[in-house]
Amino acid sequence: MSTTRHHINRQRRRQARESLPAASAASAGRAERPGRAERAERAERAERTAVPTGTRGATAVLKPQEVATAGPPADGAAPKAAGARPRRRPPALVLLCALTVLLGGFAGWAHAKAEGLRSEPARSNTALTDLARTSEIKGQVAKAVDRLFSYDHADPGALDGAAKDLLTGKAVGQHRELLADVRARADEQKAVITTTVTESAVEQIDGDRARVLVYADQSSVATTGKKAATDQKDKDNDKDNDKDKAGTRAAQDEGVYAAAMLAVDVVHRDGRWLVSALDTFGR
Amino acid sequence: MERAVRLLDAGRSRPLPALALALTLVAGGFAAWAGQDWYRAAHDERAGYAAQRDAALSAGEQAVQNLNTLDHRELDRGLDLWESSTTGELHEQLADGREEFAAQVKEAKTVSTARVLSGAVTELDDRAGRARVLVALRVTVEAADGAKSDKDSRMLGELTWTDGRWKLSALGQAPVGGTSTG
Repeated sequence: MSTTRHHINRQRRRQARESLPAASAASAGRAERPGRAERAERAERAERTAVPTGTRGATAVLKPQEVATAGPPADGAAPKAAGARPRRRPPALVLLCALTVLLGGFAGWAHAKAEGLRSEPARSNTALTDLARTSEIKGQVAKAVDRLFSYDHADPGALDGAAKDLLTGKAVGQHRELLADVRARADEQKAVITTTVTESAVEQIDGDRARVLVYADQSSVATTGKKAATDQKDKDNDKDNDKDKAGTRAAQDEGVYAAAMLAVDVVHRDGRWLVSALDTFGR
Repeated sequence: MERAVRLLDAGRSRPLPALALALTLVAGGFAAWAGQDWYRAAHDERAGYAAQRDAALSAGEQAVQNLNTLDHRELDRGLDLWESSTTGELHEQLADGREEFAAQVKEAKTVSTARVLSGAVTELDDRAGRARVLVALRVTVEAADGAKSDKDSRMLGELTWTDGRWKLSALGQAPVGGTSTG
């Protein structure tokens, strides 16, 4: 019984809703709405009167009366609700969609901005900004260069071991080439070559790759005196004026220093930095 | 019939707004995350430091190159550039020795051209405005008779932030065979 009434109320609301587009579109629709509500009310009243006939006694009469007294305010509220709700609901959906698009758009845009900032070359290079990594790389490269460019004629295996340990990729060939002469001469002169890194700076760290600029001194001590014992002993840009003079005195275990500079590319592998390329700037 | 209509009615009205709301919330979540991510990227302290590092390096490389480049035919321009690239003690030294040096170069008629092979910053204190750089340099000197010779230099430079830019305050060559081994 009451379900019927609810149903009718709903139908009335739906009717009112359907009328809304017209109402909001044209001001004439506004005048039409009360009329529709009235019509719906009339229909309800008709039902109310029909109800008692089918049911028994006072309660049956009372109930509709109750409803009837509650009716006018409810009816008064109904058009209002009918007017407010339709205005809210489809626009609410539209609003949600618009909001979704807007928020999604902002998310995408902000993400692109952040990525753009992060991919700036200055940022992708973490040399010095990542101090721990910078000093780790400096330390390991210094040790690697010391080992890779030092040679003792009495222990040639040490250099091979160092090469096996510390080199990867094209650095293997580059290192062999750079040290071929040095080895031959050192063996001949029974020399000991010691390389010490004096200065180094990390040019670039990009993830697991880095490039380090290294200044190194190379001293050679020959145990057999021969002219030009240390001539061009070093791997690259030997510009030491003392070398010839020192070579003649090599028998006295005189050290001779050569200045070297090179750029070392390293890659991070299994927790260690391996030398992947050696650049002696064309020398 | 009534019930079916009602169910259909309820079924029609709810999922759409719910879906729309869910999508909006998801989009809101993404927006918040991306916005925060962007903010963090924009206010990254490391980024400012990295920018200073790169500024110091490029200024250092340029200054070191300037100070190793001199054409006897354009002495004044070259020496002006020397002075504008430097500050502090180095600047004073260059300014003081300018006359004498200019006379020497004029007589020798040499043209020096420097090329930076590689450079890197070893230390950077962006608050104090100090930086240290290594610059590997190749200097080509053309003598009066046209003979050219190349020389590599291992430069150590110190930079100081002056007048809104990095200037060279000290420059020297890395010592050879000095301290490390006997």
